[in-house]
Amino acid sequence: MKSLSLKQITVGLAVLVLLLIFPLVVTQIFPLQVMILVFMYAMLGVAWNIMGGYAGMFSFGQAAFFGIGAYTSSFLLMTFHVNPWIGLIAGGLVAALVAAAIGYPCSNLRGHYFAIASIAFAEIVRVHFNNWTLVNAAEGISLPMLDESFINFMFHNSKVPYYYIMLAFLILALVVCYFVATSKMGYYFRAIRESHDVAEVLGVNVVRYRLIAIMISAFLSAMAGTFYAQYVLYIDPESVMLLAISIQIVLLSMLGGAGSIMGPVIGAAVLIPIAEVTRVWLGHRGTGVDMLIYGFLITIISVYQPQGVWGLLSRIGNRIK
Amino acid sequence: MPEQLLQQIVNGLLIGFMYSLIAIGLTLIWGVMNIVNFAHGEFLMIGMFTSFWLFSVYGLDPLFSIPICFLLLFVMGMFIYRFIVSKVMKGPMLAQLVVTFGVSIFLSNLAVYLWTPDFRLIPPTILQGTWEFGELNLSIPKTVASIGSIITSVCLFLFLRKSKTGKAILATEMDREAALLMGINTERINSLSFGIGAALVGVAGAFLSTYYYIYPQVGGLFGLIAFSIVALGGFGSIEGAFIAGVLVGLAQTLGGFFFDPAYKYAIVFMIYLITIWIRPQGLLGW
Amino acid sequence: MKAKSWITICLSMSLLLVFSGPVLAQGVIKIGGVYPLSGNIASTGLDCKRGVDLAVDIINGKYGKELDLPMAKTGGLPNLGGAKLEVVYADTKGEPKNGMSETERLVTQEKVVAIIGAYQSSVTKTASQATERLKVPYVCSDSSSPTLTERGFKYFFRVSPHDAIFAKDWFQFLKDVEKKTGKKVATVAILYENTEFGSNVGKYARKYAEEFGYKVVADISYAANATDVTSEVGNLIKSRPDVLMHASYITDAILFTKTFKEMGFAPKGILTMAGYIEPGYLPAVRADGNNIIVRSTFALDLGKKKPLVTKVSQLFKKKYGIDMSENAARSFMAPFVLADAFNRAKSTNSEAVVKALLETNISANQVIYPWKGIKFDPQSHQNIYAQGGLVQVQNEQYVTVWPFASAAKDVVWPFPGWKGKKK
Repeated sequence: MKSLSLKQITVGLAVLVLLLIFPLVVTQIFPLQVMILVFMYAMLGVAWNIMGGYAGMFSFGQAAFFGIGAYTSSFLLMTFHVNPWIGLIAGGLVAALVAAAIGYPCSNLRGHYFAIASIAFAEIVRVHFNNWTLVNAAEGISLPMLDESFINFMFHNSKVPYYYIMLAFLILALVVCYFVATSKMGYYFRAIRESHDVAEVLGVNVVRYRLIAIMISAFLSAMAGTFYAQYVLYIDPESVMLLAISIQIVLLSMLGGAGSIMGPVIGAAVLIPIAEVTRVWLGHRGTGVDMLIYGFLITIISVYQPQGVWGLLSRIGNRIK
Repeated sequence: MPEQLLQQIVNGLLIGFMYSLIAIGLTLIWGVMNIVNFAHGEFLMIGMFTSFWLFSVYGLDPLFSIPICFLLLFVMGMFIYRFIVSKVMKGPMLAQLVVTFGVSIFLSNLAVYLWTPDFRLIPPTILQGTWEFGELNLSIPKTVASIGSIITSVCLFLFLRKSKTGKAILATEMDREAALLMGINTERINSLSFGIGAALVGVAGAFLSTYYYIYPQVGGLFGLIAFSIVALGGFGSIEGAFIAGVLVGLAQTLGGFFFDPAYKYAIVFMIYLITIWIRPQGLLGW
Repeated sequence: MKAKSWITICLSMSLLLVFSGPVLAQGVIKIGGVYPLSGNIASTGLDCKRGVDLAVDIINGKYGKELDLPMAKTGGLPNLGGAKLEVVYADTKGEPKNGMSETERLVTQEKVVAIIGAYQSSVTKTASQATERLKVPYVCSDSSSPTLTERGFKYFFRVSPHDAIFAKDWFQFLKDVEKKTGKKVATVAILYENTEFGSNVGKYARKYAEEFGYKVVADISYAANATDVTSEVGNLIKSRPDVLMHASYITDAILFTKTFKEMGFAPKGILTMAGYIEPGYLPAVRADGNNIIVRSTFALDLGKKKPLVTKVSQLFKKKYGIDMSENAARSFMAPFVLADAFNRAKSTNSEAVVKALLETNISANQVIYPWKGIKFDPQSHQNIYAQGGLVQVQNEQYVTVWPFASAAKDVVWPFPGWKGKKK
């Protein structure tokens, strides 16, 4: 992975400035809501990418970590009145621990086996939370409405603070991903992805690096989960631990380009607005046409452009040079 | 014998045989071309709807629509292989994983669009009622479906072992390069296997429609369980998938009975995880 | 990031900007209807929409001018210059986060002045949190979780009964039927699907069982989309209850009915909720549904004692070609409550409307349910007159059997068993 060129940095800064002033220009709620979702899913995609795109562990169970993050911070808030920011860190740690616990026995699973194991794991977690009275089981947790403030991580009158917070989280995730990708660890990850056995022979401690990848990924996903809880103010296993969420994360990362830093961001930027807009436009006629288009797109992308949009852009970029 | 225990074992077997029938198609596809068909549940759904519409429009009893479901899903499977899946075979692993997800989303929503999300049920026809043996109640549709599953699996087994095409399929499963060297047209084998795999689950759909409700998302849970079964049995092993299907059916029913029905599926997934940890290639995989 | 990628983002964003700019028509009051119009539960959402659309037609005077319903005679809201009501629908797909975002969109962009919906209690929760934040009235007549009116919200009102009331009805019925038939009931089994709806019912059923003095011999929760329920039914058979109480959606209702028959589970009474009264249930199970008792707020035969019900259901059948279902009937009422409040407040301003809602007093003969009317508790904003009833499937039709005073036919008790089972 080359370090960033001057051109890339300039474009990146330009986009960042645009994103920063966006809420000041566009004040309607719906576009803001969509952007917040884009950032959130982008972050989840970046988190997935670290273990999937880079280390080759294709997880279809990220929703478990997302949900664990949401539940940890919400539970601590509801029961012990722990500040949500502390809950955020706690959630990340719990998710990372769980990730390590499940990652260790799965550390020599490959490809499809790993994918299905991740689904199995996530479903077990979901069923468990659905029946666990400590967290209100299926009834879910309604977050107490605190006074609006940054410390309380809750805002009622406007979405704008949520927008900036989520953007900041996303940038944090990207920075982490960048460091992972360009460090020696990143090389180890890619070695593991290309060939487990060769990496081992070459002296890479495969188990340790796989665990690191999973734990980082889990921590970041959990952060997004806490954000969601503070944003929607109600969580239940159906809304934060659903398999469909995990699948969407993989799909958008792939669409954008797995194995590249910005890939998931592009994927989220394209897919989420399409999903939201087609639902508003077409969805209410009750015929699932929006999902039909979505499924079609995914299939086409897999077949004709498996490197994702990022791959496409790189090819165009190379030709322009 | 504790009350209900025999009944629950029998029920576990009955649902297990249905799971087996669903899973053998999936494992065939995986074994031959290394693709986990995430749209497998949707093929099941299409089989069920085919059976339903044949019944509603032509009054055809689901038992007689089995051959039609087989053929329809066979053609569909080959079509999907040729025009979609074959193109990602040389691509990255992720594309292969994701493309069938795309097909799955497309198919289930196409069903919603064409047939509405409503739930349908085929009213009892030739197969109906329960046989009673003392304390034991045996559902006739489920029993017939189980027998059908066993017969189908045996047919598949014989086909693979005795016929020339079948042996070619097995050869490709075992060692793709060697098969190529032996002059086997592996592309054709792929296409055929995908078609047969889809056809098998189409037949499962026809049987299932005799006692389960039909709707566009019905494939979801069955598909998930099938992945667990295939992995448990060992990707590619027909015998493994068959046995694993029955085991999972038993585990689900007995687990739900003795333990907690709310955790039924968690138990199924737990079995998968434990098997995979202790014996990653599954029970009979290679 | 490459130049081309931020173009992609800008293009997506501009798509969104297109969807702005509401248009306020003259003499039209817009309210938002938030329902699951696609996804798994779409058929129910569409059913609710039918009820709402019919209500709006009657309010606007399209038909039903002779009916004794609020605003029906005048066609439009007289105190607001004959303004008509219009519902702007949003599809939640059954997800709570969409409940929130769609409500916000409807209020801030489409400029609706009130919200109705959202059928699923988990979605109503987030949607009403949005309206509470945005200070807009929300009148709910189709979500039954008791927790919705336990939050102390100012802007949220619920017209229909909730699950605690329904659970209590079950037990009240048992006491009544024991007295009527002289056959005692000692034990109950509680069976419920494991999302919020079912678990809440389970919770209240346990509570009222103790209060009313019945022993709970089985307490089973399960996943609604199960592939097979023989283990659950096996456990029920083992526990030998006198009466079964079941809270389910339609898919599990169908599966359980078939499995009960298959395994020969026939307690003295089968009391159920929700799924058994969905329009798809009887066509699916046909005669197997006979003699099952379901909680209901609405039944076509209420018309025997209340002609309004017959007239409304005839209008419904004429417009849609199918019978009015319970879901459609429940959603039907919310637009009337709002129209009545707008009219009395002579305004659509939130505070004025909330004040008017608190003063709502719709009489018994202006509602299509066996209630004494509509009046909201000043604290919880729950309609204090909301109550349920029980219907029983007799000859593949729903017949009101309880309260006995408003029953159309006598209840068949105990459950006579399954027909045509043995071979």
